[in-house]
Amino acid sequence: MKQEMVINGKKYDSKDRVRADRTDKLYEHIPAGEPLVKIENLNVTYRTDEKTTVAVDNISFDIKKGELIAIVGPSGCGKSTILRCISGLLQPTSGTIMIGDKQCTTAGSDRGMVFQDFALFPWRSVRQNIQFGLEIAGVPIDERRERCDRYLKAMGLEEFGDARVHELSGGMKQRVGIARAMIMHPAVILMDEPFGALDAQTRNILQESLVNVLKNSDRTIVFVTHSVDEALYLADRVLILSKRPATIHTILEVPGERPRDRGAPEFIQMRKDILGYLQSQNTLRSPKP
Amino acid sequence: MQLFKFDENNRTHRILRMGAIVTISLLAFLAVWWIVTILLNNVNFPTPDKVFEALYNLLVYGDRMGGHSLWEYLATSLTTFVEGFFMAMIVAIPLGLLLGYLKPIREFITPWIEVLRPIAPIAWAPIFIISFGSAMGSALVVFVGIVFPLLTNIIFGVQKIDKNWLDASKTLGASQGQIFVKVVLPATVPYILNGMKIGLGIGWMCIVAAEMYKRTGGIGQFLVDAVNNGQMATAFAIIIVIAILGILTTGVAEYVSKVVSRKMGMDA
Repeated sequence: MKQEMVINGKKYDSKDRVRADRTDKLYEHIPAGEPLVKIENLNVTYRTDEKTTVAVDNISFDIKKGELIAIVGPSGCGKSTILRCISGLLQPTSGTIMIGDKQCTTAGSDRGMVFQDFALFPWRSVRQNIQFGLEIAGVPIDERRERCDRYLKAMGLEEFGDARVHELSGGMKQRVGIARAMIMHPAVILMDEPFGALDAQTRNILQESLVNVLKNSDRTIVFVTHSVDEALYLADRVLILSKRPATIHTILEVPGERPRDRGAPEFIQMRKDILGYLQSQNTLRSPKP
Repeated sequence: MQLFKFDENNRTHRILRMGAIVTISLLAFLAVWWIVTILLNNVNFPTPDKVFEALYNLLVYGDRMGGHSLWEYLATSLTTFVEGFFMAMIVAIPLGLLLGYLKPIREFITPWIEVLRPIAPIAWAPIFIISFGSAMGSALVVFVGIVFPLLTNIIFGVQKIDKNWLDASKTLGASQGQIFVKVVLPATVPYILNGMKIGLGIGWMCIVAAEMYKRTGGIGQFLVDAVNNGQMATAFAIIIVIAILGILTTGVAEYVSKVVSRKMGMDA
């Protein structure tokens, strides 16, 4: 049987050996460090009867292949809005998002997503959650199981394969969320404040797990975070946004190989600068006496 | 000296306590019933002892009336009930899922539901029975009774689905059809079961009422015949049978709905 599938409006059949669960193969020709996703003149405007709110104001930037880019900005500035536009879950008011040479219009398995509140399916076991995308893509059962086993192991979930989602702690749930996105080998993984719902200790442990999983991999990841420390610990580049309407303040290169020393002196000044800027942009700041 | 100390954390204790309360409550109910019938002193309201004697005769000796036993009347009613119930399921589940999922259709159809829903199901009995015969007519009355609570529960359930689940499945490559089967359907199961539970209760009221309207050979007819023959104790015994069956069906539905929802990790 010939199996057809549509990724980003382009049709592929089984001859192309491109499946929805291996969309990273579509971009193998792009070398690491070159732009993989191009965001150009992105604008998002919300309209209600009373007022028009500009959430994102003409933002352009590239996501390079194989990098981990963090988006930080003051609360409510539109960080998540940008991420949802890239994922295709939200249609921008104007602007284009290109992945490789194709324009993204709708959501697809080439842009995996990790959600702040996990968004796991409670009626499925851990294993069934992780395999959801493979099931959708029509991957044979044996291959699903085998690939899932690898991710269960990588995320330290071996013993929890048959557990129900509600039996897991928050940290465990997000491990499942990350595995569910990674197993699909998307061209880019979008993480929307992935550790935002977790306590500080669990956060650190998960950040370390993520670093571990990403070792020697060429995954491209965009993550939105409130935490400057998290951005400096994980990211290759940090994109700093202004208050709403979001514009790009700067893009910082973070030096050093992962895993990094959280207390390294070169980070202290960077951390101070970023926090200072975010503070100045905070609209909820108490008025000066 | 204390022989028995109640422990809130002991499951057996809690069950014993519950059982004791229910028993005492029912005994008190029986006492009130007895007193009221004695005070009324009316042949149409027999005292409980006569009613239970009639119930005993019905259950054990299968007292016959019009050549049929209680079990035959019950079998007829249950058949009609099950027919109506399945018709409601077959219509309400796909329709409810569809209406919940597709906003334009929902907006178009909702006024129809709101016009039809307030009509008492039994109001349809004369029309249905004259058009489709007494058996199918009564089943359709049950259908009407069950279909609306089921439908509204399912529509509500679909709309309550966590938007993040839909977003997650889209980013995992699911098509609209796949989302419907793999997310919308399982996520709505607790609401389908809850609608079934409510529908079953209403269905029981409908079946008895429809059978009293027209001779269908069911339990409702049995009740009317008993009253017409002046066998009031038997009539009350039949009412008790109806009550027990109603409690049993909704009880089973409630239990199933609870267990399934918990198993699916979605107990509300």
